Amino acid sequence: MDEKVGPSEMIVHLGPQHPMMPGPFRLNAKLRGETVVDSEVEMGWIHKGIEKILENKTYLQGITIVDRICYLAALTNEEAYVGCVEKLAGIEVPPRAQYIRVIMEELSRIQSHLLGMGEYASFVGFVSMFMYTIRDREDVMTLMDSVTGARVTHSFLRFGGVKDDLPEGFKDDVKRVFASLRKAVDSYEELYSSDEIYKSRTVGIGVLTAEVAKDIGVSGPPLRATGVAFDIRRDEPYLVYPDLDFKVCVQKAGDVYARVQVRLDEMRESMYIIEQCLDQIPDGPLFPEGTAYGRRTPVMRVPAGEVFHRVEDPRGEMGFYMISDGSDKPYRVKIRGPVYPTLQGLPPLIKGVKVADIVAIAGSMDTCTSEVDR
Amino acid sequence: MAVEQSDYEEVPGVILTDRNAISDFLKTTKAQDVLNWGRKNSLWFMVNAMGCCGVELLSTGMAHYDTDRFGIIPRNSPRHADVLIISGYVTKKYLPALKKIWDQMPSPKWVIAFGDCAISGGPFYESYSTRQNVDEIFPVDVFVPGCPPRCEALIQAFFELQKKIEAKQDRGTEY
Amino acid sequence: MDANTMIDSLSTQFPDAIYDTKVESKIRIIAKVKPEIVTDVCKYLKENLSFGHLCCEFGVDYPGRNEIEVVYIIGSYDHSVVLTLKAILPRDNPEIESVVPVFWNANWYERETYELFGVKYLNHPDLKPLVLPEDMLGEWPLRKDYKGFPNKAAKNLV
Repeated sequence: MDEKVGPSEMIVHLGPQHPMMPGPFRLNAKLRGETVVDSEVEMGWIHKGIEKILENKTYLQGITIVDRICYLAALTNEEAYVGCVEKLAGIEVPPRAQYIRVIMEELSRIQSHLLGMGEYASFVGFVSMFMYTIRDREDVMTLMDSVTGARVTHSFLRFGGVKDDLPEGFKDDVKRVFASLRKAVDSYEELYSSDEIYKSRTVGIGVLTAEVAKDIGVSGPPLRATGVAFDIRRDEPYLVYPDLDFKVCVQKAGDVYARVQVRLDEMRESMYIIEQCLDQIPDGPLFPEGTAYGRRTPVMRVPAGEVFHRVEDPRGEMGFYMISDGSDKPYRVKIRGPVYPTLQGLPPLIKGVKVADIVAIAGSMDTCTSEVDR
Repeated sequence: MAVEQSDYEEVPGVILTDRNAISDFLKTTKAQDVLNWGRKNSLWFMVNAMGCCGVELLSTGMAHYDTDRFGIIPRNSPRHADVLIISGYVTKKYLPALKKIWDQMPSPKWVIAFGDCAISGGPFYESYSTRQNVDEIFPVDVFVPGCPPRCEALIQAFFELQKKIEAKQDRGTEY
Repeated sequence: MDANTMIDSLSTQFPDAIYDTKVESKIRIIAKVKPEIVTDVCKYLKENLSFGHLCCEFGVDYPGRNEIEVVYIIGSYDHSVVLTLKAILPRDNPEIESVVPVFWNANWYERETYELFGVKYLNHPDLKPLVLPEDMLGEWPLRKDYKGFPNKAAKNLV
């Protein structure tokens, strides 16, 4: 951004502490009157150096660290990391463990969307929606808590399997929670579509066209809201997703309203996926039989090689590039977060809008600053 | 926080006073107990989500845990807040901003170190980018261990802070 | 178009600049590229082979070989093949042409690689630190011989 300020222009700093974001982030916006003429995003307020730390931890210790890349999608981060090691070491995950992973990852998608949507509603002045979504999110969190033993950072996945089996009565709990959650999602949709103030602040605001979105490198709900059906679960399947029936939720408009609508539809799809999994899940071991995985092993060495593995995060395409040199620690791990390009594309998107719409547009991307900084 | 010495000129026959003198006097009386009772029951905290713990911070302030019952209300502006919750890793880049937030909060004010990162650096204790030993910079009253701690732990931390304020042992005020 | 035809098309277009090509599986291909020509290769990939989605770009440090690799992971919105493109630079003075004119979102990736590895990008629109404070520039923390890593300052460890 050009620091020079012309006549009747000024620079406004939003952040680093700003209620708009779950995490520090700074937007320097140059305004003429109330219109944004130029802007710049400053990152790095919570850069933790995770990539360097991972190089100095053993593979198993790394699972705990990757949890904390994005605390709203801990399980999908783990899936990407564990998937890398499994590809390098050639581990086959038994079917039961794969189903449990899918169930947990979809639950994590639901809770992330609930928080993102609710928080977003509060940005456009709809705070009661935040209260509703957090209330329903607690039920989902309790479900996850009953399986993994943690609410936010789970450390649940292991190489070749999962830490624990589903507890007894889990299916009934899911049924009970989903019955109320389905109703809740329907009521959110009704609230969104009937509220005139909400609609006037979201419909036609922050329109992202498919060409621009592809150019910026956006993935996940913001991209699917522009009409591009790009979903790693379908395009590059992992786990048991090929056996499951689900559709990629797409909207045409590409505005803020469409992004929220995509998240609503995805929550319904996730619930459908989990119910299929619970019906189809076979009995069997949690770790490949006849191997040491799952037991206490002192050191795990991974064959030398390089691999790129990507999964569908609640926010888009999450990828890990891992280089192993045959020792017990990875040589280099690169984390490709979905929000990184999305946040980078914010300045062109908010050019020419009013100040009040900055929050509406930035919030609708459901950004997770921790993942951008790592 | 610090009681400043008044530098008024002495005028014969006139007793001059200032705000500090009044508050110094009050601290020796029972009136301070009444003040502290009021303070401890309206601990508004600053929503300053800095890491994983920030998510639990949001949940705590919202519908399910409903801390409003205890007069603990989330605020988005430091100008309204009494309690700063350090909810995550403090990096070298973010520390000046956090200090500024602390300076913007009106006294009396308290700090809660929420989560392992704020206490000892947590999983990132050896990172090149984070600032360890945050308790040397801020007067921390309550430490909440956990990675991240649960919402109930944060509510417990507020109770501990209330007890400290009632017993006049908190670090936010000079008695 | 499958992975084999893609890599053949790339090698025939740039016979001198592309070497060590490998087809790992149906959806993963690897190639090495001469650093001088990386922007042209990326342009060709984007326009002719519909590799329009830069997944990420990063550096890898090899002090033993005295080299820094810059790795481009390029995917696509239309097909599921992912190409890993590597450019090898000398460790003493790593310089490479910026690919921002081709892939708009390379901007931040290159700024990050610059501050963490010290790779200088030529013709980058705004090369300055992204995640580190200004005064840490020049320490290149992600290089293998970085001294400040196990930071022993923490006192309250259990």
